[in-house]
Amino acid sequence: MPSFAVVAPIALPLVAAAVIAVCGLAGLHLGRWAAGAGAWSAVVALVAVWLPVRSSLELLLGSLGYGSSLDLRLDAVSFVFGLMIATPAAVLLTLQPRSWQGSAVALLGVAAALAAVEAGGVVLTAIAGSTAATVAVVSLDIEDARAPRPSWALLLAGWLALTWFGALLQVGGGTAVYSAVPVSTVTGPVFVVLAAAALLVSCLLPWRVWPSQLWARPSLRAAGVTVATLYPLGFYILVRAYELGAGRYPHVAFNIVLALAGIAVAVAAAVRAQAAATRREFLGDVIPGFGGFALSAVALGTPLSLVAGIIMLVTASALVACLALLPDRTGIPSLVTVAAAVGLPPGLVFGSRVVGIESAFEGGDFLGLIGVAGAAAWALWMVAGARAIGLPGGRGHPAMETFPRVAMAIAAATIIAGPGLALLQLGLANPAAAQVMQGVTLGGGATSIVTTSSVLPVVTLFTPLVLFALLVYVGTGASAIHTEARPAIFPLPAASLRRRLRAAVATATVPEQYRSILNFRGLELAATGGRPWLWITALVALAFAVTR
Amino acid sequence: MPPEEIEVLVFVAAALIFALVLTAPATPPRAMLLRGGVGLAGAAAVVTVPTFELALFVVLALGVLQAYIGGARSFALRLRPVATAVAMIAIALLLVRAQGPEVLDRLAAAGLAAGLAAAVGLLPFIHVFEADEDVASSPLAWLGYLGPVLAVVFVARTQGVLDGAAWAAFGAILIGLGVLNVAWGGVAAWLATDDAAAWRYSFIADWGLALCGFGLTVADGRRATLVVLFGIAVCRLPLYLVWRQAKPQKSPTDRPVNLVVAAALAGSAPFAGFAARILLLRGATQLFWPIALVLALGMLLWLPGSLRLGRSVGVPRGRQAFGVAVVLVLNAVVGLYPLPLLAAAHL
Amino acid sequence: MIEIGAGIVAWAGASLVVLGDGRRGLALGVAIAGLGLGALAWLDAGPAAAAAVAAGGMVAAAARLLNGQPGWRVMPAGSTPRLVLCVTVALVGLWIGFAVTTGPGGGTRFAALTLLVLAPARILWSEDPAALLTATGVLALAMGVAAAAGGVTADIWAYVAAGLLASAVAWLPPRTPRAA
Repeated sequence: MPSFAVVAPIALPLVAAAVIAVCGLAGLHLGRWAAGAGAWSAVVALVAVWLPVRSSLELLLGSLGYGSSLDLRLDAVSFVFGLMIATPAAVLLTLQPRSWQGSAVALLGVAAALAAVEAGGVVLTAIAGSTAATVAVVSLDIEDARAPRPSWALLLAGWLALTWFGALLQVGGGTAVYSAVPVSTVTGPVFVVLAAAALLVSCLLPWRVWPSQLWARPSLRAAGVTVATLYPLGFYILVRAYELGAGRYPHVAFNIVLALAGIAVAVAAAVRAQAAATRREFLGDVIPGFGGFALSAVALGTPLSLVAGIIMLVTASALVACLALLPDRTGIPSLVTVAAAVGLPPGLVFGSRVVGIESAFEGGDFLGLIGVAGAAAWALWMVAGARAIGLPGGRGHPAMETFPRVAMAIAAATIIAGPGLALLQLGLANPAAAQVMQGVTLGGGATSIVTTSSVLPVVTLFTPLVLFALLVYVGTGASAIHTEARPAIFPLPAASLRRRLRAAVATATVPEQYRSILNFRGLELAATGGRPWLWITALVALAFAVTR
Repeated sequence: MPPEEIEVLVFVAAALIFALVLTAPATPPRAMLLRGGVGLAGAAAVVTVPTFELALFVVLALGVLQAYIGGARSFALRLRPVATAVAMIAIALLLVRAQGPEVLDRLAAAGLAAGLAAAVGLLPFIHVFEADEDVASSPLAWLGYLGPVLAVVFVARTQGVLDGAAWAAFGAILIGLGVLNVAWGGVAAWLATDDAAAWRYSFIADWGLALCGFGLTVADGRRATLVVLFGIAVCRLPLYLVWRQAKPQKSPTDRPVNLVVAAALAGSAPFAGFAARILLLRGATQLFWPIALVLALGMLLWLPGSLRLGRSVGVPRGRQAFGVAVVLVLNAVVGLYPLPLLAAAHL
Repeated sequence: MIEIGAGIVAWAGASLVVLGDGRRGLALGVAIAGLGLGALAWLDAGPAAAAAVAAGGMVAAAARLLNGQPGWRVMPAGSTPRLVLCVTVALVGLWIGFAVTTGPGGGTRFAALTLLVLAPARILWSEDPAALLTATGVLALAMGVAAAAGGVTADIWAYVAAGLLASAVAWLPPRTPRAA
């Protein structure tokens, strides 16, 4: 396979975007099929380039000018993350109608996000990721300028932090290429910058931020593509961090802290979800909940937990498409989606969380407690999901952008695919984990998952549960579901305190006697008025400073 | 002539071409061509003359001519900054050349840095600004048009004049002034009561990054400065000219083009500002990593002000729309691939 | 001795520019400053440089006689701070020129330093365009002579540029602010 082929997954959506834009400017709207074709071509290109080779393919094109070369690499990690980004985006772009501007910008975002995961070094990832973030904000604005959108400051802060991390690697180790950074360069303080960047990039925070706020928009077209392209990138950074550290983080404390952060995110999302007033509000916290569990699994630091985390992320990416296509009406599609989201057996979500929690217990000591916390969070999700089934749907979305059958098919697929958990581990997650963890591979094959202390015969255990679930589905009707407003299982802790704090900050003003300090015009006049004493004072201060 | 200085001259010439061809200014085109052309010729003279003193004479002459154009500010207010800047630099050069204690060299370094900041109009030596004044006679002419050339020439000449310890002091002062301008400019661009002041402070914030780049006496610092100056002359200044056309007619808008403009002004990828930030962070990390932390935090201040400025541009039409597209594309190209720009300057 | 005397003459001329508001006072000040600086330029760089500087000062003086407030108006009411400034600058200039800095050319250093402070001080202190332009001319002449401070052999072009700039700015007619 020629190395130039790694460009294809990035270039094809770009070409499609250009064609759509040119035709759009000429008055010819190519429709959603062109946008879908652009995104699906990226998926096909990823598979076509990776499958024949199944090992790293790298393209090095020379220096760009800021200490980094144009270094693109398609390996197992970029393959699986590329699929996570491109596949749900392709589904959404194919089905949901958009303006030509929205289609072109969405494809630009897909290309930028794919470039971020195919980049061979940290700096290039930062550039491409920041581009994807910028494009996402523009895309959301094209659709609806007044609806909630990500805090640009938070996004930019994350990518700037990653940029600085790349600079630290270049200065300390001579390179920021993932496969070439000396292990000794990634010290504890340096890793803190990386971790902060990853958490900010995907906004893996315990309070409500854009991964849940976007689902409240009146239309979910741009929101779905935004979450699909941006949300996995923070996790990608944390997975690559293993490669930078020769298979581990610089200190086990980082594993513990990040895993705890993940649990905090999952619990916080569950607490919000159980107090949701509508089903749409509940579903809005599903992806952050997934993110929390995935962060906890990825951060634990064992091959098994990393594999579990990757499978959770793959499932989450499927559910992103599902949630964006799901209408707010009560019915079987909503029921199946909620079941898939909370991790009803024998779905992929169920299996991956079981493996993730088991890996925490097998890690021993404090990690076991993290496993307990994870289990408790999951239980809360189950309860929240049961409550959510009976909630009112929400304010609704335009019918032309919802496809209930497709949404239900995706959700059902994640449940029915439960027996295929081992196959998913073998084909997708294992190679990615081996890539970053110094070739460590898990055994078990396509039918079972081998853990440290046992073997999980996935096919044997889960297949009967699938059959049972199908029987339940056939025998149950949606007519029994009666929606009504329901009280929260327990009130949000400190909810009123947060509201009061926010109101206090919003109404804060500078006391009257200090306003002149912050009066820019007044200071400017003082600086430049007829007697520029500020100039002279500044000059004297400078002279004093240099003579010390 | 050093290639870096020639390249910055080209940036400035490009800004003039943009102003003449792609905007519909209130000033008659002939007057704009005359004023811009004289400024460009003066900048070229600053680059060409063989000694620092002759360059100062050219700057003083430009200052007198610019003060002479007339505007809302008095002749005195327009002349003072440049005259004082030139005097500070001349005194500094005198102290460097005179034999005496080592402290004189460091005082000279302070004078040279202060003189540079005063000539361009940066904190704490900012010029009085009247929003309605013509661009050619306003402080924006120094901040966005003549300033980039002056700064590159002055810093290059200073390097030939100051020795090791004094040069280090000069760099430290520039970094200090740079951080001050980054912080103040960023906050002021966000909180200023009118858009004109916000635009002016946004230039000052960008200059803060440029000063930090000059002060980081490593190669990446100079590279960062070149890209920042490119951003000032070929992005911020043209967009400011577009805003001046939009100002009387439109209220702030929130269309996608405004967000893209905001992204370019904020230094977000894929625009040139992000490449400059990468180089600055590299340079600062090489020198002293806490500077990089301070700069990274300061870089976040660009966003709120840039969103405001992006909205203020309105929805350009016709020639202006084409001009804005050209500016944005050019900045994106340089942002993704700055190597040709840097190679042309032998950096 | 000649050097010191020339320096003092130059300072006296600049002080007259600082203290005078009328066109005669300004013209005399720039002429005296030009003569003093011209003498210093002769000592540092030869007759051509001296001619350029002195001519610049004379032409600037001639132009000033045609524009500006009528009469002398030297030391008008309220000019005590300016007088104090002139004396203080002279004392500090003597200290720096002859004590802090060493080597030949003390007079040049003194003259250049004092004029490079007095001229911008006048610019900062005044609103009258005639005074501003005269002070700018003095600043230009001082910059030309300062190029030779420290015993450096200055380029003739520095003196020529100083003379040209000083004479050119003095001929600019005064401008008033224009409302936007």
